Amino acid sequence: MSATTTGIATGVAARIRHRVPFVEGAALAVAVVVVAMAAVGPLVAPHDPYAVNLTDALLPPSAEHWFGTDANGRDVLSRVLHGARVTLPATLVVIAASTVIGVLIGTVAALGGKVVDEVLMRITDIGLSLPAIILALGLSAALGPGLSSAVIALSVTWWPGYARLARTLVREVKDAEYVDAARVLGVPQGRLIFRHILPNALNTLYVQTTVDVGAVMLVISGLSFIGVGAQVPSAEWGAMIAGEANNLTNAWWAVAFPGLALLLTALAFNLVGDWLRVRNDPTIRREAR
Amino acid sequence: MSTDPLLRVRDLRVSYPTPAGPAQVVHGVDLDLAPGERVALVGESGSGKSVTARAVLRLDPDARLSGRIELEGVDLLKLPPRRMREIRGGRVGLVFQDPLASLNPVMTIGRQVMQPLLIRGVPRKVARRRAVDLLERLGVRDAEHRADDYPHQFSGGMRQRVVIAIAVIAEPALLIADEPTTALDVRVQARVLELLRELADERGMSILLITHDLGIVAGFAQRAVVMRHGRPVETGTVEQIYTAPRDPYTKALLAAVPRIGGDVTRPLAVIGAAGEEKEGS
Amino acid sequence: MSEPLLQVRDLVKTFGGRPVLAGVSFDVAPGEVLGLVGESGSGKSTTARCVTRLTRPDSGQILLGGRDVLAAGRRELRALRADMQMVFQDPYASLNPRMTVAELIGEPLLVHGLEPDRRRRRERAAELLETVGMTAEHLDRHPRSFSGGQRQRISIARALAVEPRLLICDEPVSSLDVSVQAQVLNLLRDLRERLGLSILFIAHDLAVVYYLCDRVAVMLGGELAEIGTREQIYGDPAHPYTRSLLDAVPVPDPALARQRPSST
Repeated sequence: MSATTTGIATGVAARIRHRVPFVEGAALAVAVVVVAMAAVGPLVAPHDPYAVNLTDALLPPSAEHWFGTDANGRDVLSRVLHGARVTLPATLVVIAASTVIGVLIGTVAALGGKVVDEVLMRITDIGLSLPAIILALGLSAALGPGLSSAVIALSVTWWPGYARLARTLVREVKDAEYVDAARVLGVPQGRLIFRHILPNALNTLYVQTTVDVGAVMLVISGLSFIGVGAQVPSAEWGAMIAGEANNLTNAWWAVAFPGLALLLTALAFNLVGDWLRVRNDPTIRREAR
Repeated sequence: MSTDPLLRVRDLRVSYPTPAGPAQVVHGVDLDLAPGERVALVGESGSGKSVTARAVLRLDPDARLSGRIELEGVDLLKLPPRRMREIRGGRVGLVFQDPLASLNPVMTIGRQVMQPLLIRGVPRKVARRRAVDLLERLGVRDAEHRADDYPHQFSGGMRQRVVIAIAVIAEPALLIADEPTTALDVRVQARVLELLRELADERGMSILLITHDLGIVAGFAQRAVVMRHGRPVETGTVEQIYTAPRDPYTKALLAAVPRIGGDVTRPLAVIGAAGEEKEGS
Repeated sequence: MSEPLLQVRDLVKTFGGRPVLAGVSFDVAPGEVLGLVGESGSGKSTTARCVTRLTRPDSGQILLGGRDVLAAGRRELRALRADMQMVFQDPYASLNPRMTVAELIGEPLLVHGLEPDRRRRRERAAELLETVGMTAEHLDRHPRSFSGGQRQRISIARALAVEPRLLICDEPVSSLDVSVQAQVLNLLRDLRERLGLSILFIAHDLAVVYYLCDRVAVMLGGELAEIGTREQIYGDPAHPYTRSLLDAVPVPDPALARQRPSST
């Protein structure tokens, strides 16, 4: 590394240190590592996550297998690394689908008339009252169990939260003076919505999506654990725990490491989301001081 | 004034810590208030007038203060926080701009007015009597019953009277009023200012009025301090400041205010970068 | 007097059963500045919102240059809005924080199809900025980097972009410092002379209205207490309410302030 790039790197590091408190910094680091794992995990994994080798079953952590091996002799570290690749994209699909549906419905409810608002919000209430687990059970019965059933079930139950949030945010902005000003100016409805209302209303939405990454991930793994999500040989973290739960007493590592990965990731995204929320809201920041 | 001042401020400086080092916002204010005197601290936003007034009572925990602030001979900057709390609402009363924000929405008006007395050990019955009398004095009709109402049941002007009642019930020697009438309609403003003046006269109370409005200063205060960019630019009697302002900024400020009956054919004066008066364009 | 530019007849508006406007009528002549004064809750802002059709009155009629504002369809309304523009009270709230000055001032030119070409729009925005005493350097900045007075100038430039005949100002200077207020008042006065603008100027400050307005309408409880020329209203008010308002105005002169009767 040349002197200048080192200089820039330390500069950036100093800026991050200056702006991000320690715990949140650690959380941000974990979140970044998980995303990196999803991207390049398979390249750095020491073993094939699916290679069964019964002679090496249930080996404790060692120099060869840092996280030990599971009942089928698969390298737990490689599977944990690989798991990010299964769980994270599924999570992101759920979040993306919920955000799109939720924002659409919430915005229409906020800007439409009283009747539209009432109808859409009642539908949202119904969505909110659907239990994700029951729906996932139903879907896996209908479509066959698998990660996609879990993703669909979760998307269907997750969007109402976003619809409500988007409705609140849009309602706050739609009567702002600059929106009135644009209206008087003769700005047409479409431009009013897409240029003046939505960008100002939804600029804090990413905070909620970040917090939700952790939550959705937990539910997906939970569904996999009870058997209606990713199925057992898969390196999905919940499925890994489910597959090895019987061996908990004699081979804790096969359950503990995927569990730890799940815990750390969910916690990290939660903390990062909370930190973004505080950073966005000057009133909270003042109280925190 | 030959008598000992009630409040004597010398070389008051206020700064706030920022990541880039301390930022000074008040750069040396001197101020004297005689007992019973009404003094106005006048300035535009950013002049440091409010920060100065708040510093007198050390209301901002973040602010770094230096200089001397003597109230009845006691240096407030050296007082422990406990003693300081006794002074706030005791020897010094406070009225802020927004009456709604300074009232507790879930406590009755009577209770809030009584509170400063209750804290100081006055028996409940006596405190209630005095609260009702004071509200009555401030023009709250049927105060006996209205004392049991909540702030939202009062109009803006009535709320500000309640805030004043809370500020003066413990008979402070000094009342600090920070833009007390800015949120009020003009007729209510006139009445509230008149009440403040009457109260001050009856009780020999001094008032430090913080305002941006040159109009209300003329009829209210005896002396004024004009502030700009955290510094006093001119101090004098109201007559002197309004009829023969010495500082160019004071002059420009006075010329920038439109007046009823004034010349409407000429542009209003505009204040230049150095604070001098410029012909408007 | 020539044909009035704006005619307002019998505006009535109730909010939740409470009457806010109880039959308001007035005219604004071409090139005239009419002041609308009153205390909070008198209905002066609601009147402005009705005229610009941000709020619909329950009944009444509004004619702009003879065209019916309340009956206008979407297309007609757009055309009407090119003729009447509004400047709002709070310069910190009335500019979209995510747009640059060039976009803000260019927007009316774009949506009214006056200047479809991006580069020309920018040039025109720069000209408008100069009209209000700012420069082209400010074009690429966002509202947050300007002071209240500058923002109000940007709002005015934006309102002027469509070359309206009527400018409605809702308390445009009440949140500004005295020195900035003077600048904005001078600007409005100047624009009115140069462009022959009519202005409906809503304010609670009677001295400001005195300075700027030819005629004054005094509102009280959703009605006009009286309407007349500046000389009539300030020199010889007919309505006791007007008199009480004038008596309460603080006078920036200690000698005069001391003489005046107290307002009990």
